[in-house]
Amino acid sequence: MARMAPPDDERNWIQNSLAGDTEAFAALVKEHQKMVIALAFRMTGSWADAEDLAQETFLRAFRQLNSFRAESKLSTWLCQIAVNLSLNWRARESRRGEVHSTWSENVITETPAGFPDALSGRVQSALDKLPPKQRAAMVLTVYENHNHAEAAKILNCSEATVSWRVFAARQKLKRLLKGISHEPL
Amino acid sequence: MNRSELESILKKARLPQPPEEFWEEFPQQVARQLNRPATETTRSRRNWVPRFAWATVTAVCMVMAFAAGHWRGSVVTPAAPAQDILANAKLVRETLAMFPNQVRAIVEDNHGLHLVLSQNGAVPTSPPLYVRVSDGKTTSSLVTFSGQEIQIAGQKMTVLADAQGGIILMGNDFVWSSDEKTDSDSHLKIEAKSLNLAAL
Repeated sequence: MARMAPPDDERNWIQNSLAGDTEAFAALVKEHQKMVIALAFRMTGSWADAEDLAQETFLRAFRQLNSFRAESKLSTWLCQIAVNLSLNWRARESRRGEVHSTWSENVITETPAGFPDALSGRVQSALDKLPPKQRAAMVLTVYENHNHAEAAKILNCSEATVSWRVFAARQKLKRLLKGISHEPL
Repeated sequence: MNRSELESILKKARLPQPPEEFWEEFPQQVARQLNRPATETTRSRRNWVPRFAWATVTAVCMVMAFAAGHWRGSVVTPAAPAQDILANAKLVRETLAMFPNQVRAIVEDNHGLHLVLSQNGAVPTSPPLYVRVSDGKTTSSLVTFSGQEIQIAGQKMTVLADAQGGIILMGNDFVWSSDEKTDSDSHLKIEAKSLNLAAL
């Protein structure tokens, strides 16, 4: 399990970053990069896009660091930036969705490049098919372990809306992932 | 499948794992972006106007230089075919080299030559595509990249390229494919191809 930096370290990095110390900010990036890239990947399904989005997330965070309130968690704030960037990316990509799905009918269903196993690829493909905001709700609650209230703050919507999106996403994912073995972890 | 079974499947899904060097390099990559002078970082809205102006001036100068050699005294009218300009691989290559991963499109229409730069981050590297659209009155040509949304001949279109070299244009109410060259409902005459920048 990755060791999280002590809170004092993170506070110092934030303070130094606010003073323009990019090496201090690089330390913050190192601390949170896996979370941000993982979230961006789950949202986009593409490693290249995830890397670009993650970089943009951190650049934006640096530029807006003076708006970060110390009483909240930096990781949650970064999550919010990453999700919003991902949703805007998804809005641009949605017009391609129909054409891509047409092309993908001719693709042999084998383990997509880069995934360690077929299940992982299939789950990501299923996530790709969710509407962006439902997908964001699932990524935040399942993979980032936020409760519905926390996810609602990140997504800037009501807790009830998150609950509904999670419910609708689960129904769709159950249909898409039918037949996959579900032995307990 | 019940809720806990679904949860179990979702949590079993693992992400692609890059080599360890990636995680060492990524923070430094971000730090380098931050350390670049403001004029070299991703374009912001407040900076694009003077740079776009220079880009346009430079592009026009390059076009005039090529035109002097290529046309040898031919008269250029606003409706003249643009193919001679944007199909010139050297012009396109040099323009792209001036603005690496920032060019969304080089457009020529009856208003002249335009350079459309990305304001929201890097344009993914991919082979340039040449598109020419005529609506019977005017002809517009452009060089762009797969995935870009462009405005041409009064229509907003997304340009896509597939792995076999086929090109697709998706407008609000039509789809055109270079493989099928169809869209009988549209009044537009469309030509598209991949541009081989290695050729001169």
